[in-house]
Amino acid sequence: MSNAVKDVGERLTAFLPNLRRFAISLCGARDVADDLVQAACERALASAERFEPGTRFDAWMFRILRNLWIDQVRRQKTAGVQDDISERHDLAGASGEREAEARLTLKTVAEAIGDLPDEQREVLLLVCVEELSYREAADVLDIPIGTVMSRLARARKALGEAAGITTTTARSRVMKGVNE
Amino acid sequence: MTRTDFSDEILMRFADGELDAEISAEIEREMETDDALVARLALFIETRHAAKIAMQPLLEEPLPAELTAAVERVIAAKTSAQNESGASVLPFARRAANDRRASRWLAPVAASLAAVIAGFGGYWLGRGGQPTAEGVLPPTALSSPALEEALETVVSGEERQLSGPNQRFRAIATFRDNDQALCREFEVDSPDRSTVVSVACRAGAEWRVTFAVVARGDSGGYAPASSTETLDAYLTAINAGAPLEAEEEAKVLGGLREQK
Repeated sequence: MSNAVKDVGERLTAFLPNLRRFAISLCGARDVADDLVQAACERALASAERFEPGTRFDAWMFRILRNLWIDQVRRQKTAGVQDDISERHDLAGASGEREAEARLTLKTVAEAIGDLPDEQREVLLLVCVEELSYREAADVLDIPIGTVMSRLARARKALGEAAGITTTTARSRVMKGVNE
Repeated sequence: MTRTDFSDEILMRFADGELDAEISAEIEREMETDDALVARLALFIETRHAAKIAMQPLLEEPLPAELTAAVERVIAAKTSAQNESGASVLPFARRAANDRRASRWLAPVAASLAAVIAGFGGYWLGRGGQPTAEGVLPPTALSSPALEEALETVVSGEERQLSGPNQRFRAIATFRDNDQALCREFEVDSPDRSTVVSVACRAGAEWRVTFAVVARGDSGGYAPASSTETLDAYLTAINAGAPLEAEEEAKVLGGLREQK
């Protein structure tokens, strides 16, 4: 039994940078994210036996952390806590792109990701950044795989538009059934 | 066969390597002659790449020493605790005093915990109060029709004043446990300034309170951190699923009301 705890502990230590990145992208502020990471580690260790060897440790941890975050948001909401967590300045500041000089009207990719609706951003992070499969992301988020795909597609369209990644606007008009 | 009607979803799956070989080959063939298809596909390939690049600096950022130390302490404590006794609830490492957020939900397990009732047996709502843990929790505190109604109508994130005992009900989350039973996490504030942090699960046509922590205190209608830590341990134990999304929750709660 204590092998499970030891195993999870070791994996956790190596996984902290990724876990923290995901936390920052969820809550948009480093201090909140660090508390969240700590709480997630605590919970993971308390339930180390539940981790099934052979399954993805990162997906398991992301799920634990995200569930904690949802609870926290609701607590704060009901308690009327006014917080600045809606500003995801930390996300954009991270890349240093904000300071780049030639900024026209387009946003940096990091800013654009920060501006996505929560449910789109988390899917984008899990699949495109953390490289989970659609199935794994669906399990982390407890949503059907079809929802993962529709949110992910919307996230990437929004990101492409906001950050100017769309290759040719002329062509995009030809696309059908894209604007919901 | 020529297809030009690949949906965005199909193209995205192709870009993410989530498409089967047959359709993938079809798309590849089509790309040789269809520039518009290439452009649409490029959006998905490039956004994936761009997102990864943009988030890379966060990964390379040095971890705060405080965080690393705190996690190491938790690991060390848990490892030794398990070697000795298998204890399952650990105090959190205290964070810097100037962190205003931390005090709300990451405080050490504190003296403000007046009582813990956490049993898989639980007790039943609406039976005139025969809690298995006699005397610890006033039976009237949770077994009221008003509470039952609140459990079935108040959406997570909202509050309601319960009629009768002058209690304030706050719905925190709705989720399913290990056995797929519907559960709700909620808090009830009483006039004496105590807050009950609780989980009730559906068993047949009744709500069964499976977990409750009474937190006394000065928190002004806000469950102190120590009680939510205990709750976390409990939720882990029952393998609670992620909170239902608002839409799903509305559907489920609506279904409960219809059964009446």
